[in-house]
Amino acid sequence: MKTLSSYQSGLSSFFQEIGEMGRFTGRYFRELFSTPFEFREFLKQCYQMGNKSLLLVSVTGFILGLVFTLQSRPTLMEFGAASWMPSMISISIVREIGPVIIALICAGRIGSSIGAELGSMRVTEQIDAMEVSGTNPFKFLVVTRILSATCMLPILVIVGDFVALIGSAIIENIKGDVSFTLYFNQVFAALEFTDLIPATVKTFFFGFAIGLVGCFKGYNSKKGTAGVGKASNSAVVFTSMLLFVLDFIAVFITDIFYN
Amino acid sequence: MKSNSVQNIKLGVLIVTGLIIFTLGVFFIGNKQNLFGDSILVSSVFKNVNGLQSGNNVRYSGVNVGTVKEIKFLNDTAICVDMLINREAGNLIKNNSLATINSDGLVGSMVLNILPTNQAPSPTIQEGDTLASISQVATADMLNTLNKTNENAALLTEDLLKITNSINSGEGVLGDLLKDKILAKNVQESVENLNETTRAARSGMTKLNGILNKVDYENSVAGLLLSDSSAQNSFRIIIADLQTASTQIKEISADLGQFSNNLNSEKGALNYVVKDTSFVNQLDQSMENIEEATHRFNQNMEALKHNILFRGYFRKLERQKAREEKQN
Repeated sequence: MKTLSSYQSGLSSFFQEIGEMGRFTGRYFRELFSTPFEFREFLKQCYQMGNKSLLLVSVTGFILGLVFTLQSRPTLMEFGAASWMPSMISISIVREIGPVIIALICAGRIGSSIGAELGSMRVTEQIDAMEVSGTNPFKFLVVTRILSATCMLPILVIVGDFVALIGSAIIENIKGDVSFTLYFNQVFAALEFTDLIPATVKTFFFGFAIGLVGCFKGYNSKKGTAGVGKASNSAVVFTSMLLFVLDFIAVFITDIFYN
Repeated sequence: MKSNSVQNIKLGVLIVTGLIIFTLGVFFIGNKQNLFGDSILVSSVFKNVNGLQSGNNVRYSGVNVGTVKEIKFLNDTAICVDMLINREAGNLIKNNSLATINSDGLVGSMVLNILPTNQAPSPTIQEGDTLASISQVATADMLNTLNKTNENAALLTEDLLKITNSINSGEGVLGDLLKDKILAKNVQESVENLNETTRAARSGMTKLNGILNKVDYENSVAGLLLSDSSAQNSFRIIIADLQTASTQIKEISADLGQFSNNLNSEKGALNYVVKDTSFVNQLDQSMENIEEATHRFNQNMEALKHNILFRGYFRKLERQKAREEKQN
């Protein structure tokens, strides 16, 4: 009986959280299209999320390209299809692996950062102070961060994909004597708009999800300093899960429209 | 304030870099599909497009010159394939070229190949032209043929199996060859004989080589016979004469045979002479009589020399003889 009630409690709190997140999203869109717009804060957040994540994304992408090529090469060699390596790597990275891996990396870095920052502001009553001083904290803190994450993630993914392809080209050049020109010729011969456009579009949703969950968890943080850590942690966990759900939906829709 | 502007510059660089990479990607992919360049729209009509899709490459002499734009049914047996071809490449493609659909490798996607023809010169393709098409053997057709070949191979192997089983069980000539021990022994002996013959032939050839090596081709008759080309005609004449002579000898021997037959037959004088023993006795008697008659005739002649009527004649002969001796 006790277990059942705990399940009911957990389920109701889950739906409650989903509902609150829905309201939070609705408020975001309302605030987004109302003046004034905090452009300076938006640029600052873009810099924090974009430029500060660039090194992490680049290193991750480069290693991703290297490792993916090194792992795939023996299998393709076994089938006598080593010449298909650029096509396979490029389609895999551009379509799926690049956006998902880089989004997960950004969820870890950006999501946790937003959750911790807003959570600490909430527990130290800075957000309340902003409300008292007449500043709209939601517009200043939440809208700018979600919009920055939405805008910067596609750019980070594009750069990450490009660096991953360079890493793969280096391995192909070393292991298979494939020139960079030939490699990128084969990459662009294999890629179609149906690979690039849906993959890029879904990164906007990934960025939006990272910003939204991070802001929601941080903005609604409670229970003192422990709540900050919890907000930060749950932001990363929930975002990661949400990214896979969004990816599935994106692939499902792409499959309906393009195949 | 300065820090903010530096941050904005860095952010701007990142955004511009990302947009450039994205734009380049879009450009290269679009360029591959002839979306940005100047292109010519031409079409071709096929009965079967073998899975060709919009966006597949169009190749001219193996070079990618465009992409398939659209595939549409004209009626239940004709499918129109529209293709975009680079203006630059289009200036080289003649409008009597042939379009065909092939597979790009065994498991690759389909490609539309434009094949140049060796027919009379013709103008290059223009916007809206329709190229003639030829249908190639599709993979399914190849597999069907391969299937038939496999069935035939299966029948052949079945027959071969029967033959080998028969041979193994000793049936037929081949079975005898393989199973019969006597025959095997005979074959073995034959092979041994053959070996011996070969050995003898080798020895003979060695000796012959030795003889030929000893021939002085420049000074000996054999050398002359073997090496002098001028003697060829003489030999030819000699051989012809020999042939004539042998023909004549043959005729003579035939005549002699006939003569001998005639001789052996009881008719004719010679057979009488040769075979009749009483005749021989008579002949002996006659010869004795002739000898005696000759002897008496000589006596008569000697007596005649001493006769007064003929003495002068004989003395005249003696004087003439003496005169001739004296003159010599």
